[in-house]
Amino acid sequence: MLARIAHELYWLGRNLARAEFTARAAEAVFQSEIQGTTESLSSVSFGSGGLLAMLGDVDEQSSSGEALGQLTLDPEHPGSMLASVERAREGARTVRDVISAEMWEAINTTSLRLRGGGQPGWSAPAGPYYASQYVKERTALIWGVANRSMLRDEAKCFLDAGGLIETSDMVLRMLRVALPPGDSAADVHALILLQAVGGFHAYLRAVTSPPNAHPVARFLLFERAYPDSVAACVDSLHEAFMAADVGPRNSKPVLRVSRLAADLDFQRRALPEGAELTGICEQVQGELTRIDQDVAERYFAGAASAGERR
Amino acid sequence: MGSGVQTRVAETYHPHAPFRDELFEPDGTPRPAAVALVHELRRLGPEGLMEAGRRRDAIFMQQGITFETSGGAGSSHERPFPLDLVPRVLSGEEWRAIKRGLAQRIRALNHFVDDVYHAREIVREGLVPWRLVASCSHFARAVHGIRPPGGVYTHVAGCDLVRHSDGSWKVIEDNVRIPSGISYVLENRAAMARLVPELFGSYRVRRVDHYPQLLLGALRAVAPSAESEATVVVWTPGPANPAYFEHAFLARQMGVELVEASDLVVRDDVLYTRTTRGLERAHAVYRRLDDDFVDPLEFRPDSLLGVPGLVRAYRAGSVAIANAFGTGVADDKAIYCFVPEMIRFYLGEEPILDNVRTYLLSDPEVLEHVLERLADLVVKPTGESGGKGVMIGPHADEAEIERMRALIQADPERWIAQDVVRLSTVPTVAADGTLVPRHVDLRPFAVFGERIDIVPGALTRVALEEGSLIVNSSRGGGSKDTWVLEDGDDADRAGPPIADTLPPALPDLRYGAWVGQQQQQQQGSLGD
Amino acid sequence: MHFAIRYLTDYEYDAPVTDNLNALRVRPATTSTQRCDEFHTRIEPEARVSRYLDYFGTEVLEFGITMAHERMTIDVRARVVTSPHPDPPEGSWESLRSGAYIDAAGEFALPWQDQPPLTGLEELERALDADSPLETLQLLCEVVPERFEYRPGATYVGSSVSDLLELRAGVCQDFAHLSLVLLRRRGIAARYVSGYLWAAPADEGTDSVEVDTHAWLEALLPSSDGGGEPVWVGADPTNRKLADETYVKIGHGRFYADVPPVKGLYLGGANSELMAAVTMSRLDPQTSARA
Repeated sequence: MLARIAHELYWLGRNLARAEFTARAAEAVFQSEIQGTTESLSSVSFGSGGLLAMLGDVDEQSSSGEALGQLTLDPEHPGSMLASVERAREGARTVRDVISAEMWEAINTTSLRLRGGGQPGWSAPAGPYYASQYVKERTALIWGVANRSMLRDEAKCFLDAGGLIETSDMVLRMLRVALPPGDSAADVHALILLQAVGGFHAYLRAVTSPPNAHPVARFLLFERAYPDSVAACVDSLHEAFMAADVGPRNSKPVLRVSRLAADLDFQRRALPEGAELTGICEQVQGELTRIDQDVAERYFAGAASAGERR
Repeated sequence: MGSGVQTRVAETYHPHAPFRDELFEPDGTPRPAAVALVHELRRLGPEGLMEAGRRRDAIFMQQGITFETSGGAGSSHERPFPLDLVPRVLSGEEWRAIKRGLAQRIRALNHFVDDVYHAREIVREGLVPWRLVASCSHFARAVHGIRPPGGVYTHVAGCDLVRHSDGSWKVIEDNVRIPSGISYVLENRAAMARLVPELFGSYRVRRVDHYPQLLLGALRAVAPSAESEATVVVWTPGPANPAYFEHAFLARQMGVELVEASDLVVRDDVLYTRTTRGLERAHAVYRRLDDDFVDPLEFRPDSLLGVPGLVRAYRAGSVAIANAFGTGVADDKAIYCFVPEMIRFYLGEEPILDNVRTYLLSDPEVLEHVLERLADLVVKPTGESGGKGVMIGPHADEAEIERMRALIQADPERWIAQDVVRLSTVPTVAADGTLVPRHVDLRPFAVFGERIDIVPGALTRVALEEGSLIVNSSRGGGSKDTWVLEDGDDADRAGPPIADTLPPALPDLRYGAWVGQQQQQQQGSLGD
Repeated sequence: MHFAIRYLTDYEYDAPVTDNLNALRVRPATTSTQRCDEFHTRIEPEARVSRYLDYFGTEVLEFGITMAHERMTIDVRARVVTSPHPDPPEGSWESLRSGAYIDAAGEFALPWQDQPPLTGLEELERALDADSPLETLQLLCEVVPERFEYRPGATYVGSSVSDLLELRAGVCQDFAHLSLVLLRRRGIAARYVSGYLWAAPADEGTDSVEVDTHAWLEALLPSSDGGGEPVWVGADPTNRKLADETYVKIGHGRFYADVPPVKGLYLGGANSELMAAVTMSRLDPQTSARA
């Protein structure tokens, strides 16, 4: 297929996943910030400031309400859900002939509904919350439509690959912001991280330890049975590239992804309980950036290259 | 919403003297802590509240947070759990007094259970009559002499408190068997944050959602498993039980199995669950059914429900049961009168929370006095819970009072009488969206493992009918979210610190468009 | 007297059963008038037996058979020495209200809870009118067997007192239950006793009899002078007499359900057939017994 089309699909996946995770995180932070702290447990630091930091916005010192507003419906803020959805819509328009009509419609409707401050009931202060809920529901629907209506061909592989790499990147960002440094994390609970990712119930079924920072971080990093964990995303990413690549045996991105998958598996077994994890998060994220570059080089050659905004 | 509507909410609100209203002063102005809340309620207006109410019902139906009501003629239908949208607000200071009082009370009750099944010191001291203990229907002879791990019997407790017109809190009932309602505390909070987040606006409300973790921690702390992580299960009588929602909720929130009797088996004094991988040991059981139905070998022989041999395993110390068997002796309504004595006897402290004045009818003189004043008193059966069989004198007609008189005379020891408490009121949304005063009680929940933890929040039950004092949900009561406020004001709320090394800015796609490279020719003019 | 007791129970199931859990209250107690010298149990299929003393002080043997089986045997052997009972005290009705009496009576003076209200007891109660609690107890042992027919099979293990009143017939368990109710209504504390009875014909020199587990009662009688400790006195309304050295007590409780000799249940859809036999043999010379 055309490199340009593959590239658009890949970024459509990334933007959809980005909107979804921004929404999930904003919702969790909102829920948590309208209530106070618990008495007996200290919690990981993941508030609205952390939310902006997670999206790489460090300069701005905004209040909680402003931060949430920026992240949801602010068209000027490139990290807002609205901006991500708009970019996704632009991309989808470009590949309208490749994706199904249903999928295009689902994406288009979402974007139209979010514009101009969203729905009438979404007035402040609860507006960001309602908007987040809406985006969460819509992205779930869009992915569902994609899985049921698109052919499982190369196009779908690139769409999925974009979503997977963005999901793991977002989870890693969240962990990097929220994980307390060093040993101080032992008794700090991390419910909010699970709520932000949406893995609260899965965690409880899979892990017997209380949801403290360390076991939660391990779960989000290494638990291959949980689809939004970094390890599971990397596994699926590998499958997607294996299917899409003409010569996977000597494909740089395929080799790099497969190395990362093996590495994560090794870390899971080698790292003692309670070991420091922020370093690994940073490493893995760096590796994902390199994979992203390899992908651009190998598949999208010349069409575009990913780079940092600003 | 026009300005006329905005004022209507507050203007039509008249606290019912002589009852204390918790949000409004007697003259109808908001109490200091409620000013911001009342402001937001006014902003929402009746229409806003009714709209939120409709969304609430839809969400509760979707999530299956419902209860069955019988519509007569044997038919029953599901109704969304009636959560009222006006929260009840407790200051940090008020909460601390309640919390200390509750912890003290539960500690004393736990001592009492231990004492009753062992040395009976409080009986020998002449403080509690033995015949009263022995005649409790929940006095469990089968567990005489068994001391559970850590000496903890009342792992989960919920006391019902009411607020008198003078502002003082009184305990009206203890629940140390299988108190229910905690799921509504958590679900109410989640629903409020979702439905009317604006009400939280300038308040700092303390969280309650760590309760399942506290409970799990307490259960693990008392579970007898030296070598490995303890396996905890929640035992439900099954989906037909009215509290099944709560059982499933707690199991899911704790991430443990929800089991029924047929999933459990005792072999050689050890409790196992039947799994697809064979028998797996269970170390702690949070059981949500009465003693009577847990073990047909020891309790009700005519019931073949339950797990035969469970008491045996419990006696052998191979499994922890929460709450322990036989705790019902401590929340019997006749024993209730003696709780202040227990606190003095076991803890050497003065009770922080008072009882409501209660009359034990086994004394003939008291009995006579009570029978004369039945119309002014509340009469309760001693062995029941959940408002079953309760008669409220001032609200009963002649025939009801006479029926009760006959019942009491037939068996006076099975009843107690109490003074009527003037339950406080909290504004509640009426069918037309306006606020009306309705009576409430308060049920905070405590978890007793290595220590006593009390989640900062409670189930506030509200009598939805005008003037009614019966708050039980089985009898038409609803509930409210209960806010315990953090100390200190809004200003000293700094956001949590952020990690030192931050992730890079988000990558973005950048099209590789052609970029022209030309040099502008610049040539200064020579002339100027 | 010196007895050897053998209590043999055999359950046969018409299909294999598993998880057969049982609790036995069969061991003769050691009291001021009897002593249990030897005690053995044998369970087949073999099972680990654990013991403990229950709330009322009765020794309980517990065991469970996990594997599938179609037959279970419980074989209990004991040796007991009993001695004559002292004469019962003749305290007055007033003494029933003394503090010492109320303390000793405890829960055995409380009305029987969870029983349907009984009707038609007035006539029986009138027949028990007497000058002292002891006389009432003695009258009771006459009145109950006079008014009610002893008829095995008339009632079953779960029968209530009202069943007996209706049928006018029952077994020792029912007679004991009715007597407890009547005594407690009079303010006399009374408890249910389970045990074995040497039911040999009085004049024959028999040294072994086939019996059954038996039930009688103990009533708490105030001491003759009213000031001393009240005394538990055994009485058998089935055999019209106060308990003596031919009675071997296992334990007591408020009623039958507190001291059932064998209580158990098993898993499986099988029906069971029960064969139970108690054999009592006298070990001491017959002459000394008659003397």
